[in-house]
Amino acid sequence: MAETYPINIWINEERFEKLQKAGLEGLTQEMLAGLKVLRVPTNEQQRDKILKLFPMAKYDSATTKSIELLPKAVKDQIFDMIVSKRTIDVIDDFIKSVEK
Amino acid sequence: MEMIGHGGKEIVERVMPKDAAIKRLKELRAAKVKELDVRLQIATEVIDIAYGFFSPLEGFMTKADVEAVCNNMTLADGETVWSIPIVFDISEEELQKTGIKQYDEVLLTYQGNPLAIFDVTDIFTYDKKEMAMKVYGTTEDKHPGVKRTYQYKDKFLGGKITLLNPPKINPPFTEFWLTPRQMRERFKEKGWVRIVNHQTRNVPHTGHEWLCKGAWLQTYGELTIEKPIVGVLVNAIIGEKRVGDYIDEAIILTHDMLRKAGYFGEHNHMTTCTLWDMRYAGPKEAIFHAALRTNLGCTHHMFGRDHAGVGTYYGPYDAHHLLESVKHKLRITPTYSMNWLYCPHCGEITNEGICDHKKEWQKFSGTVVRSIIIDGVKPPRLIYRPEVFDVIMETAEKYGFGSAFVTEEYLKRRTPVFTIEPLE
Repeated sequence: MAETYPINIWINEERFEKLQKAGLEGLTQEMLAGLKVLRVPTNEQQRDKILKLFPMAKYDSATTKSIELLPKAVKDQIFDMIVSKRTIDVIDDFIKSVEK
Repeated sequence: MEMIGHGGKEIVERVMPKDAAIKRLKELRAAKVKELDVRLQIATEVIDIAYGFFSPLEGFMTKADVEAVCNNMTLADGETVWSIPIVFDISEEELQKTGIKQYDEVLLTYQGNPLAIFDVTDIFTYDKKEMAMKVYGTTEDKHPGVKRTYQYKDKFLGGKITLLNPPKINPPFTEFWLTPRQMRERFKEKGWVRIVNHQTRNVPHTGHEWLCKGAWLQTYGELTIEKPIVGVLVNAIIGEKRVGDYIDEAIILTHDMLRKAGYFGEHNHMTTCTLWDMRYAGPKEAIFHAALRTNLGCTHHMFGRDHAGVGTYYGPYDAHHLLESVKHKLRITPTYSMNWLYCPHCGEITNEGICDHKKEWQKFSGTVVRSIIIDGVKPPRLIYRPEVFDVIMETAEKYGFGSAFVTEEYLKRRTPVFTIEPLE
């Protein structure tokens, strides 16, 4: 399986409820002392594109090997796409929507 | 009270008493000495030099010092270990406009108010690319220290500094800014015989907290335990900020909250700050931190993986190796730290050198915790103390214009850490 570079969307109660309504709560994982996370996969090309589109973001290569520090509004947008499309494979569509 | 600092020399304080300073200022102005208004970085380093944070330096480096720092990692005496050039840059245009010459006495001002006397003994040039390569190990300008070096103007002035006008440290930093002499007096009052420094520019998560607790235990070593005689000094570096960093107020107040909330206590924990723009020089910055904290009166210093590094310029243990190579010349003992992490099997924060549930480890970094907070999610108390989280939220409202992270608005509108007021 190709390596992925996930975007971690941290799950609070509000986000968890939305996932439950969409039947997607099973996609979350417990990552930090019980804190739930939705790991949205990106491939190398998508990762580089996202880091270019959002220069404040950082790829944490040392600890979690994930894309971190994306603004909340950006993660909200990705999260909403996941819920409405009922899949976590939304990154191409997300990038297209930003590039518009 | 004997106050021996880095290099085995008495802490240098070059601060003129107020009455003498007012008199001297009048004399200087009557004699129409040359005046030069300096930017924030230089004003900060003037203050650091004057109060002995950079002992045994008494002023900005001469060419001989810069050459020795770059080539041998010492001062010009060939003995005192020093790793980062402390330089006063000036443009040819400014030199011509002010007419500053070697052996001039120059009145430095900051935002128009008198700051210090600068006895210029050397005017020189230095190849900035060479300086970058020798200090940072790279000439790439995406390295923030290299970028800063390239931004220096083309000439440098060397010579001693005498502070005329002490800074007014603005709240909430007032109680946290202590001079090296004041810090040593405070340690004495507390009865601490060993002090281990924690270098930070972060809000503490429990990994940081346990790093300090582990280092406290390491530092205690063979000492007797009838009364508390070892302390952790959290010395926050307060300086140039970049958008996305934690705001300075959050850093200092959250560390202090760890003591106030009882995770540490008065008997073993103290938070202070030092004014300094990080150079991200990795191993070289580690050596600089060792000198700085020796001057503050610390006996030990924590160094974790990739101390003061940036990107992938330095290996995780490069700083440790460099420290080991000059350890015999330092007056501070490095305490090396492994990573702290959460183990769900143990149900606690533990250390990669202790726990063997490797497959279950949940590692976290400052970046990950920042990411959680940016998402508006409250991290679990095992990762982030609730009192620390509350302080972050309070400081965001009170000082950060609604954000715990530096924004353009914060950079424009924040209250400066210090001001220089008129001297009268």
